[in-house]
Amino acid sequence: MKRDPVASGTAVRSGTGVASGAPAVSGGVTAALGALGVVVGLRAVFGAPLHASIGWLVPFAGLRIDLDPLGGAFMALTGAVAAAVGVYAIGYARREHWARFPLVMLPVFVLTLLVVPAAGSVTTFLFGWEAMALTSLALVLTEHHRDEVRSAGLFYAVLTQIGFVAILVALVSLSSASGSGDFAGIRAAAGDLGPALRNGVFLLTVVGFGSKAGLLPLHAWLPRAHPEAPSPVSALMSAAMVNLGIYGIVRIDVQALGGGPRWWGTTLMVVGAASAVFGVLQASVSADLKRLLAYSTTENMGLIAMAIGASMLLGASGLASVAAIALTAALLHLVAHAAFKALGFLAAGSVLAGTGLRDLDRLGGLARRMPYTTVLFGIAALGATGLPLGAGFVGEWLLLQSLIHTPQGDNTLLSLVIPLSIGALALTTGLGIVAMVKAFGIGFLARPRSEGAEKAREASPTMLVGMALAALGCVVVAVAPAALGPALTRVASTLPSVGGDQGPKLGAILRLPGAAGSVSPAILAAAFAVAISLVLLLARWGVGARPAAVVRPLWAGGGPALTPRMQYTATSFAEPLQRVFDDVLRPDTDVAVTHVAESRYLIEKITFRTAQADAVEEHLYWPVVRAVAAVARGVRKAHTGSIHLYLLFGTIGLLVVIVVGR
Amino acid sequence: MITATYTGILTLAAGSFLLAAVLIVWRRGLRATISLLAWQGVALATIPIANGVHQRSWMPIAVGIVVLALRGVLLPLLLARAVRGEDQGAREPTPLVNTTAALLVTAALTMIAYAATRPLIEHSPTPGTRAAPAAFAALLIAVFVMVSRRRAMSQAIGFLMLDNGIAATAFLITAGVPLIVELGASLDILFAMIVLGVLTDRMRQSFGDTDLNQLRELRD
Repeated sequence: MKRDPVASGTAVRSGTGVASGAPAVSGGVTAALGALGVVVGLRAVFGAPLHASIGWLVPFAGLRIDLDPLGGAFMALTGAVAAAVGVYAIGYARREHWARFPLVMLPVFVLTLLVVPAAGSVTTFLFGWEAMALTSLALVLTEHHRDEVRSAGLFYAVLTQIGFVAILVALVSLSSASGSGDFAGIRAAAGDLGPALRNGVFLLTVVGFGSKAGLLPLHAWLPRAHPEAPSPVSALMSAAMVNLGIYGIVRIDVQALGGGPRWWGTTLMVVGAASAVFGVLQASVSADLKRLLAYSTTENMGLIAMAIGASMLLGASGLASVAAIALTAALLHLVAHAAFKALGFLAAGSVLAGTGLRDLDRLGGLARRMPYTTVLFGIAALGATGLPLGAGFVGEWLLLQSLIHTPQGDNTLLSLVIPLSIGALALTTGLGIVAMVKAFGIGFLARPRSEGAEKAREASPTMLVGMALAALGCVVVAVAPAALGPALTRVASTLPSVGGDQGPKLGAILRLPGAAGSVSPAILAAAFAVAISLVLLLARWGVGARPAAVVRPLWAGGGPALTPRMQYTATSFAEPLQRVFDDVLRPDTDVAVTHVAESRYLIEKITFRTAQADAVEEHLYWPVVRAVAAVARGVRKAHTGSIHLYLLFGTIGLLVVIVVGR
Repeated sequence: MITATYTGILTLAAGSFLLAAVLIVWRRGLRATISLLAWQGVALATIPIANGVHQRSWMPIAVGIVVLALRGVLLPLLLARAVRGEDQGAREPTPLVNTTAALLVTAALTMIAYAATRPLIEHSPTPGTRAAPAAFAALLIAVFVMVSRRRAMSQAIGFLMLDNGIAATAFLITAGVPLIVELGASLDILFAMIVLGVLTDRMRQSFGDTDLNQLRELRD
């Protein structure tokens, strides 16, 4: 990433002739769709499964809706995110002068997001999946007049279509082998399928759904598309769409196929752990606020994939009760991530709208200028760190507990995989704190580092309301995860292969069956609140005893005064980390010193430029792209522009077909 | 109609159809080519009419009359009008393949056509399928005409020959093409001709010529 000033979303002024009420309609419809999704989803979680089929909408196969608790939970989660984003989008679209196209596409995108978890048949699922990919691509390209956006759109389109092909092949071969196009029919016939087919389907789904979830190695679209998309769209993609990648893995591999041999779980754990560590490392050295959040999505999806992999591995090893803890950890972290990442991207959107910046090196000082946004981003950042009182804490704690309490016995695979994944989890959490401290501390505190940050404006009321809704979700997950308990139990009960029917009870105190750990986020929060108020009381009490404060100029290292340039920047904050992980990150740094013309000892200026390359991208993608380009160049040699030659090619092709097909 | 006469007429029609195609390869003058094309259209129209008379049904006869009107009269007339607009003489410039070689290629293509359609004849040896190789050969020759001619107008002629070949093959090997299908195909051809006419006009305006090699610079 170049450290150039990032062109801001305020550059979009293409909204010609959009009625002033249009953003309200678009955002309102989006929010209403989201609320509807929550209601329908929760009804499916707690009530009877919903069935519906619409024959005329899709030729031949028809549209088939089958909502069970698993699909219902994802639908409700998606709906909740969409409701918050919809309210936020009213103010955001008005401020950024959205054109008509994104205003129309936003509710359509939400609709496709709701269709995917509700799909009951392979055709409906694929239809919804592709519709989701296309509408989100259209939304990513909202600001298509910028080069970065077009490049991001290309990356997204290619990777999502590679993923789609993998999913298509997997699901179609699965449904043809089981003789049924419904997920229920596939599940019924799954036991009779050959191991080769099952393994092939598993690998293809991990690649295909992994590309949507932002897992390695098909993650590269995420840190490009999420920053370049308008912020409400980033929030929807990062908090709702990537979840559906996880949904696909759970629906197909865990539920329909009913789990598999132990290497399935191990594979998923390795992919997840690699994604988590890689994502958080990139996040911690990234200086672009939205790119940081996008890499954090890869990290969290990696953790969730790791938890699901752990539950599959433990379930296959006959440790059902521990497997159930890992499954609960995955589901809970999914909810938590949706809440804090939606909030994070919405707050980043407020910053972008208020300052025109998303480069942390140029931000700062927002706490004074955008107090509400700062507090809300703080809640999101706390959630992303995985510290107690943050939304991400409970899920990560449960995952850690399930790994620690795994009885390894004389099982070589477990005793190898489990400790390594504990290490990966610990490293991820630690680095996650660095990344979020950087995002919050450098971006919001201290003094403004540029004119844009100095002139920041607070977000509009509807934007704040949207963010507050997401923040409410964060607080609930952080303090009272028990509220999610009944829903999670219902969801887990549809997944018996990973011990879903004997999961931990999420009461006021989290107790783990068959393990010694217990924790109560509510009591933790109460204790924290009491401690804070005690400290404040004591401080107030002590005020009278202290001498009066005296104002003196701060010592500025011998210089005339303190300037914002003396502060840490995001780049300098992450510099030690960049040094430590030099081999993985491979930063491309360039220091150019310009001397004064008269003397070599005097320096006129020093230019420092650093670009973060993505090692996976460099070593996996570009060789493939180069090979394709070389083949294309070869083809171009035959492409002379002569119509006669083209006709000749066609004729030869025709003759070959005639002679061969005789 | 007696079967022998029917077979004779069908074979004669297919033969003159192929002969017209070969003569188009031989002749380079655009006007001569167009009258050969009209001849080919008439030969083509004979096939469904003969079929209709033989089977005593009016539908193929109607199709034949439509074909005769369109491909024997209307399209050649349109082409002739377009050729009159060509200012640089109505002759194909030096072709990409010289006439002798072109005729040899034509012979080779005819052989390929006969070899390729053998299984078809063995499968159902009727008078129609026996004549089908000639129509198929004319189809391949039409493609060759398109490959080897420079002028945009010759391309249009090749395209019409190609469609004639397709229609003739369809008439000969199927029991009969429904009127609506034939009408649809003919309408397509008419539109294609109009588009080609407009394109030719544009080319002449842009390059002062209708040599397709001028388009070589347009790639990328």
